[in-house]
Amino acid sequence: MIEYHALLHSCLLRGDYEGLTLMKKIYVAELEPGMKLARPVVKDTMVLLRDGTELTGTIIRKIKNMDLNTVYIEAPPDSCVSKDELLINLERRFQNIDHEPYMDMIKRLVQEHIEAFYE
Amino acid sequence: MNNTEKRDLHRRIKNISSLPTIPSVLRRISEIIEKPNVSLTEISNFISNDPALTTKILKMINSAVYGFPGRISLVSHATVLLGLNVIKGLLIGVSVFEIMQKAMVGLWEHSLGCAVTAKLIAQRKRLNEPEEVYAAGLLHDIGKVILILEYPEEYEKASNEAEAKGVTIYELETNHFIENHATVGAWMSEKWHFPNNLTEVIKYHHNPLRSKYAPMETAIVHLSDILVRARGIGFAGDRFVPAVNPTAFELLEMKEQDIKEILAEMDCLPGITEDFSLS
Repeated sequence: MIEYHALLHSCLLRGDYEGLTLMKKIYVAELEPGMKLARPVVKDTMVLLRDGTELTGTIIRKIKNMDLNTVYIEAPPDSCVSKDELLINLERRFQNIDHEPYMDMIKRLVQEHIEAFYE
Repeated sequence: MNNTEKRDLHRRIKNISSLPTIPSVLRRISEIIEKPNVSLTEISNFISNDPALTTKILKMINSAVYGFPGRISLVSHATVLLGLNVIKGLLIGVSVFEIMQKAMVGLWEHSLGCAVTAKLIAQRKRLNEPEEVYAAGLLHDIGKVILILEYPEEYEKASNEAEAKGVTIYELETNHFIENHATVGAWMSEKWHFPNNLTEVIKYHHNPLRSKYAPMETAIVHLSDILVRARGIGFAGDRFVPAVNPTAFELLEMKEQDIKEILAEMDCLPGITEDFSLS
């Protein structure tokens, strides 16, 4: 079950449309030195850590004291979920669907949408 | 379960603000929202008197979700701009954020995804109050939160059963709790004096054709729920996509291109990146 939730979280990953960085959202507990912030860490309206900041042990400890659940880190495409995995999950989500009206279209559009990430 | 048990469940849920499981913030918010003729000024003062709440509300409003030009820094401005119904919805949204996250991993993302998607569709359909549809999307599964708070173990059991049987949790709820989350959510909505439209969306988001007063809004949240599940955003107790009600889908007159564009716009879900916790 935990693995599955982790997968769902990874499904929230999205590349930005300029194709510059891929990012993923991870729990603060999972941060490791060497990771880079893909989005700034903001408290109220103040930017505490800029995007692009490379995490060190000290910075991770600071983030852990900030009362945040998750942050965005940069992730190269190969460390994110693969296209195949996303498509298998899509199949699984639609396993109860049996050509009901409009559902084939919705499924196809989501599939095309996922495939477009990897082009 | 028999009628006595049904009444008992109803009574328990109706008295939710006195339940020990409800955090004090939600209890206080619930009390003010339950007042029959609560005014904008009262709500505005209530929020302003609580610095933590003020920050969260302003953060939510200023997140790109609402798309106002410039930042709003005063609660009184926010309440005037958004209106009573939206502010009430936001208050509940902000206060359930933490419980939602604790109740079920992914339920907040699912709800927020629905809210954003519902607003996108409402704007396309040129509805007058897309923000109200947003609030309805955010709160459509509030009944699940209530059921989880009241019956955490039983709900977990139901969720595992849904996983094992490969069905949606909605289909199993009545076996476990006599009433499903849609009905329980509608009770809460009535208790909080939410507008009838919002209650209808919550009550009928799985049976959109039964909505008399808000068929459009209900159809929108019904479709949003399906799109968010199809896209794999969040988790709402099971991982299966239910079939869309064809008549409701036709009511929305969505073309293939519309769905395609909405899927692209959903990926910019700004709210999901925010942390609205109240601690």
